[in-house]
Amino acid sequence: MKVPGGKMVTVKLDCDSTITKIEITGDFFMYPEETLKEIEKALIGVSTNESEQNISWIIFETSKRNRATMIGVTPEAIASLIKKAISG
Amino acid sequence: MNWRVIKLETRNAHSNMAIDNALLEGLKAGTSVPTIRFYKWLPSAVSIGHFQSMNDEVDIERCKELGVSYVRRITGGGAVYHDNKGEITYSVIAPESAFPKGIIESYRVICGWVIDGLGNLGIKAEFAPINDIVVSGRKISGNAQTRRDGVLLQHGTILYDTDIRTMFSVLKVSSEKISDKMIKSVEERVTRVKDYTSASQDQLYEGLLKGFTDGKEYRLGSYTEQELSRANELEKAVYSQDSWNFDR
Repeated sequence: MKVPGGKMVTVKLDCDSTITKIEITGDFFMYPEETLKEIEKALIGVSTNESEQNISWIIFETSKRNRATMIGVTPEAIASLIKKAISG
Repeated sequence: MNWRVIKLETRNAHSNMAIDNALLEGLKAGTSVPTIRFYKWLPSAVSIGHFQSMNDEVDIERCKELGVSYVRRITGGGAVYHDNKGEITYSVIAPESAFPKGIIESYRVICGWVIDGLGNLGIKAEFAPINDIVVSGRKISGNAQTRRDGVLLQHGTILYDTDIRTMFSVLKVSSEKISDKMIKSVEERVTRVKDYTSASQDQLYEGLLKGFTDGKEYRLGSYTEQELSRANELEKAVYSQDSWNFDR
């Protein structure tokens, strides 16, 4: 998916009733770069029924905790892709 | 600010990325100085953005056949083919405080030096946010920036005469897309210095050097033993390792 006005983002995930594995890739910018792994970690165990808004909030909060800057990608765009991946 | 400028040099992909990383660490530690470096890649190489998947972006088998190297960058952004004969790369490592806080504005400042460099060859280029430089709407330079611990690192490539066919044989594009039609469409989006001027690559370098240094206090310099030693460590322990390059 190309984020409007931004960059390419892809989400690959495994799930049962919760997210068990997730990998977010793309040509976006985020620094500190280690933040993305923290975001992926924070998303493990999240219910597949969780709302897009709450998933976005988890990403936003993790990013904020890491004092991260995102360019070309947003928590909302990642959350939207996660929901799409969950619904197959 | 007093800049150290490292003249155009050639290194392998892992060493090039290790040097940038070592200078970033050194500036943070107070053992390096603000630096502008120009470099080429031997062998030719693909660099991918920090968050990209090597296997998704690069045809590793094709790289091996052609002797093209590959490396994952410390910075985000997209996959770039660094043609040994067809492009020049630069890096700027400096205190974050020397640049605007705004991301786009800081890209605009450093990309402005590239634009001035191209202007010295008579090429009218412009900044295309987020991180590109274009000539008549076609990309001639891609740039990537990171900031950590108060240090800004930006590196970027300036296409001189990049071999588009090889570029698309190492970047992962399905074989049917490597048709004349596809190459034609890529050429419509990408352009090269050679498309506008008969200037040599040496002249491009001289133009860039002037664009990057005009109005600045600088000296031509070299790396310290400490920087080279740290870069050597990083090259061996990080940038040449599959655990780094195939992290995603």
